[in-house]
Amino acid sequence: MGPDVHGNVWLREHRDATRLRCADWDAFRDPDAVTYGRYVAQQDDQETYVEGLLEQFEREDHDAALGTEAVALLRRALAPSRYLAHGQQMLSAYLQQLASSSYVANCAAFQTADQLRRVQITACRTTQLRSAHPRAGFATGERQAWEGADDWQPIRRAVELALVEFDWDRAFVVTNLVVKPVADLLTLSELGRQCAEAGARLDALILENLWIDAQRGWRWTAALTRFLLADEANREVLQGHLDELAPLGDAMADSGGRLLATGSGRDAAEISAAVRTRWGALLAEAGLAAAAGPAAGTP
Amino acid sequence: MPLNRDDWYDTSRDLEWTLSYVDPEVAFPTRWSGAQGIPAEAWQAWDEPFRVSYRDYVRIQREKEAGVKAVSNALLRSATYEKLDPAHVAASQLHMGTTCLVEHMAVTMQSRFCRFAPTPRWRNLGVFGMLDETRHTQLDMRFAHNLLRHDQRFDWTQKAFHTNEWGVLAVKNFFDDVMLNADCVEAALATSLTVEHGFTNIQFVALAADAMAAGDINWSNLLFSIQTDEARHAQQGFPTLAVLMEHDPERAQKALDVAFWRSTRLFQNLTGPAMDYYTPLDQRKMSFKEFMLEWIVNHHERVLEDYGLKKPWYWDDFLHSLENGHHAMHIGTWFWRPTLFWRPNAGVSKDERAWLNEKYPTWEENWGVLWDEIIRNVNDGSMEQTLPETLPSLCNLTQLPLGSAASRHDLAPHQLVYRGRLYHFDHAVSKWCFEQDPERYAGHQNIVDRFIDGQILPPDLTGGLAYMGITPEVMGEDVYDYAWAKDYAGTESD
Repeated sequence: MGPDVHGNVWLREHRDATRLRCADWDAFRDPDAVTYGRYVAQQDDQETYVEGLLEQFEREDHDAALGTEAVALLRRALAPSRYLAHGQQMLSAYLQQLASSSYVANCAAFQTADQLRRVQITACRTTQLRSAHPRAGFATGERQAWEGADDWQPIRRAVELALVEFDWDRAFVVTNLVVKPVADLLTLSELGRQCAEAGARLDALILENLWIDAQRGWRWTAALTRFLLADEANREVLQGHLDELAPLGDAMADSGGRLLATGSGRDAAEISAAVRTRWGALLAEAGLAAAAGPAAGTP
Repeated sequence: MPLNRDDWYDTSRDLEWTLSYVDPEVAFPTRWSGAQGIPAEAWQAWDEPFRVSYRDYVRIQREKEAGVKAVSNALLRSATYEKLDPAHVAASQLHMGTTCLVEHMAVTMQSRFCRFAPTPRWRNLGVFGMLDETRHTQLDMRFAHNLLRHDQRFDWTQKAFHTNEWGVLAVKNFFDDVMLNADCVEAALATSLTVEHGFTNIQFVALAADAMAAGDINWSNLLFSIQTDEARHAQQGFPTLAVLMEHDPERAQKALDVAFWRSTRLFQNLTGPAMDYYTPLDQRKMSFKEFMLEWIVNHHERVLEDYGLKKPWYWDDFLHSLENGHHAMHIGTWFWRPTLFWRPNAGVSKDERAWLNEKYPTWEENWGVLWDEIIRNVNDGSMEQTLPETLPSLCNLTQLPLGSAASRHDLAPHQLVYRGRLYHFDHAVSKWCFEQDPERYAGHQNIVDRFIDGQILPPDLTGGLAYMGITPEVMGEDVYDYAWAKDYAGTESD
């Protein structure tokens, strides 16, 4: 192709001009060594497990027995999360296509597929809940909530701002060190706990299962970050991006706390504080410091 | 019972939202989406040609993986490979070296769909395509890895795209164009619809049948398994074409016309010689032309007709090229065999020649006379006359040799001066393709341009081979050590 065609210019600007230094990107290894064969086999097992849950709880007429608090929580926080997962799907795909090594790109490809899994499971649950609670607004009100409900807005804002981070290093930081870990902590881990407390046992178990995917995503993210930090010059780049972009995650943690708060479970402040602490621990595991921004570390 | 897929599927693709914190034009640049000139609501008509759930996908694919692996493991313990005809092995090396990393490029193209396609329905389907292509890359790598103990040439499965071997550069150039530099709409028309839904049938159906006939059950099984994925995800092209026909049919016509010609030229290089020359005679199912007419031409004409498009303006030229182009590519690649990483079969023993004349009535007049010259030189022991001293001139669009698109009588130059530089083309249609979007191709240097520019040293065949990464243990040589020429010993007319 001509040297100045769109694709070449994009690669030069958004991948090759990075300040990250790495003599050999191909030296990176996925700690889980996920191949295609392993991926479909292990995910088939996970899906078989979820299918079993769905059948078992269907027999128990679980959805019909859900209380008001549980139905409200699922409608407010679970059902609209398919938009969040779709956002993460797009963000993950971008990490694949501009990665400097196929060892990195493959991790991002499987992470992308994990998000579609979540979209479809969420859609399936949303449809089941509509059938059990036809007047609760399931399967009709999610877009409105995602676009307009106050507590979703900082989350949507973070996703949208991440979508326009095209430099690969910034895209990696905003997606895999900020938006995705905070979103997963909130809408998989903390939401699962809240569901369990509210008696939504099926969704608690499903979210616990989806959290397994999130943890795999985190393992390669932390491994790659540590791999890059082997060159100390990269610390300034990665920590710099993180410090700049972390306020998006902080705002997510704040509003996410309000979104998930229930009478039976944790309140907003407890959720936000827990997410911040756990996010900070993840960043520490990756070799970075929790952001130095004004909101960082505040309970 | 839990829900059926169709109960929740619509909700799972109801994912579009109105971006308000960033400019949608920035988040979904038309340079990647290809949605320019098409109203946003038009994409609501984009309907998946097939429905698959993640749940079903991982189950079915796991079974397929297990099936391919079982056959491969069983055959590893047998001595099947040792019994294969060496010319057939050459066809598998050519395929592996020129295809494996194309599969990997396709992962990225599908991932573009996942990120930038103008509707979430397509963005979701792209995920399965991306996984499929990851599978194909890894299947090829595993297959080749298992054969390394037999032949170092299988190392080129992974290595080829990291070299400057001229044929590989032609393949890479084509897929850079239709996959990696293409916007989603262009990629859907050129790659999904034209290459994957049409041309890959030659690689994955015809070659798979030939491989089975040749006793290469392992490779045949692999190719068939890959084709089952291709046939599914290639359908992504149809709804895109339907949307484009509503809003910009001219763009659709032009994109398909360019893609069809470029694909034809590529597969004349990739598959034509393998089918009509490398596959042992008694194992051939169809000629390259017959397969093209039945599987590709009929298919393409049907697509064009179904969507209200015209045949490409160059149809007669295409049919003429179909009669000749791969024979030209074959004699060229055989002659320049030191530049190959596989061992080509001349495939012109008397029996094979009779078959070629039956399938291609003009073969003797166009190609037989050239082979006669080679045969005479082989039988006279003048081997130096059968080998090249330098490199052939190449087309600035296809990267293939000038003179390789039609018969030996069709050698008129096709040239164009663009922004002060002279460009050469292997055919008037290639020149037309260039003219449709000159900035896309201008400025690129083919390997001969690099040679003339002084980038390849020493400036002779030796320097060229070093630049291409050809090493003695893989360098191409006649696969039967010229035994076929003995057919003609003492019988030449002069």
